[in-house]
Amino acid sequence: MFEYRELIRNLTIAELKNRYQNTSLGFLWSLLSPFLMALVLWFVFKNLFKQEPNFAINLIVGIMMWRFFATATSACLQGIVSKPNLVTKVYLPRQILVLSSALSALIGSLLEFVVLIPIIYFLLGYLPWTIILYPFIHFIFFLAIYGLGLLLSSFYVYFRDLSQIWEVLISILIYCSPIIYPISVVPAYLVKYYMLNPITHFVFIYRDLMINGQLPSLTNLVVVVLFALIMLLIGNLVFSKLQRRFAEEI
Amino acid sequence: MTAIVVENISKKFRIPHEKKRTLFHNLIGIIKRQMSYEEFWALKDINFEIKAGETLGIIGKNGSGKSTLLKILARVLYPDTGTVSQEGKVASFLELGVGFQSELTAEENVYIYGSILGMTRSEVLQKYDQIFDFAELNNFKNMKLKNYSSGMYLRLAFATAIHANPDTMLIDEVFAVGDTAFQKKCSDKITEFQNQGKTIVFVSHSMESVKQICQRTLLLSGGKIVSLGPTENVIKKYMEISQ
Repeated sequence: MFEYRELIRNLTIAELKNRYQNTSLGFLWSLLSPFLMALVLWFVFKNLFKQEPNFAINLIVGIMMWRFFATATSACLQGIVSKPNLVTKVYLPRQILVLSSALSALIGSLLEFVVLIPIIYFLLGYLPWTIILYPFIHFIFFLAIYGLGLLLSSFYVYFRDLSQIWEVLISILIYCSPIIYPISVVPAYLVKYYMLNPITHFVFIYRDLMINGQLPSLTNLVVVVLFALIMLLIGNLVFSKLQRRFAEEI
Repeated sequence: MTAIVVENISKKFRIPHEKKRTLFHNLIGIIKRQMSYEEFWALKDINFEIKAGETLGIIGKNGSGKSTLLKILARVLYPDTGTVSQEGKVASFLELGVGFQSELTAEENVYIYGSILGMTRSEVLQKYDQIFDFAELNNFKNMKLKNYSSGMYLRLAFATAIHANPDTMLIDEVFAVGDTAFQKKCSDKITEFQNQGKTIVFVSHSMESVKQICQRTLLLSGGKIVSLGPTENVIKKYMEISQ
């Protein structure tokens, strides 16, 4: 796939341009909307969780992370079906189509992160040094999302209602990890189920690095790395099997 | 030196009695046991070789499997049996302008299309002026592609494609479109490629064009090879079985 790096680059840039081309605020909107969402949620929840330290900043970091997950997986899901000509009329390794969608979402999320830095500084009064390790966790998350994207995009070719199904799943999944609410309000008997959710571990690592100034715990790290590797493995396996009949189904 | 070896290729298509495009319908189908489908063998036991520098025509009635065979050569479809081996860089022209994005300018699209055809960025940079000269679109480099007329679109696509410099070209009747001037440019270029020793596989309904450029021709009928040999003879055979 490395031979195709030019094409990956070109497709990613084309996708970025397409996404921001016709919107009025353009790229600024994608920065504004997560902040608005976080603002509303913070306002609603601040009266419920006022004893939680740094509730606002924890919320914003969680929302940012989740939005990357939601946007990237949705973009990947459409990755193949949105470029039918590149499947039916010419040969190229089809993983490229999913990779370029994932990369364009990644770039968007990195820009959001850049805007997040001054906000963290403003709310905390300082920047934890561990924030420099952000690229590592973000890269691991990206790999997990790319693997999941391969899975979703290949199934979507055959099952066109997957986009709606995934939308519903995403809106439910956000409640299955301590993004909108802190883990402290979760009753003890449910906590172990939260820990089964890999997203929970990702959230902890993001918050440790960006807010608490702590290095992530070993458990968290092992879970997220394993999850990313497994998703990549399964994603690639399923994709290479299913892609054989893409040109017949599109 | 053989450029393409096709061994034992067969391809079947699954045509469900009821096309189910959603997970929901598929689940219902499994429960109600309505998952039957017809098997349609578009190609059966295809074996042939193409020598490097040769131009092979593929002819046959509609539905005989020509496009399917070409798509398998282009690696867009996967055969159910057999193998295809290819030497050198293969560019497929099943359609011109694959990957063109209407929201981007012509210049950006040339880079994208170029990379799809296997050209590196520096290659495109190098041939950039030649491409736009050939297409006669020097004044429209920065115009968005959605504002291009269909003729301009074709010229740009073709100009980029021919500068891709593949070793083998797979052509599926794309050059049947465009005005006479464009058609002439196409056939001139094809002659040039033949003189350069490039291998060409040409699927067409036009016996004129096939006679003009192909040394050997393959005749398909019902997914099987009926005849393979010098163009004149094969075309005659085609006429016979069409009666």
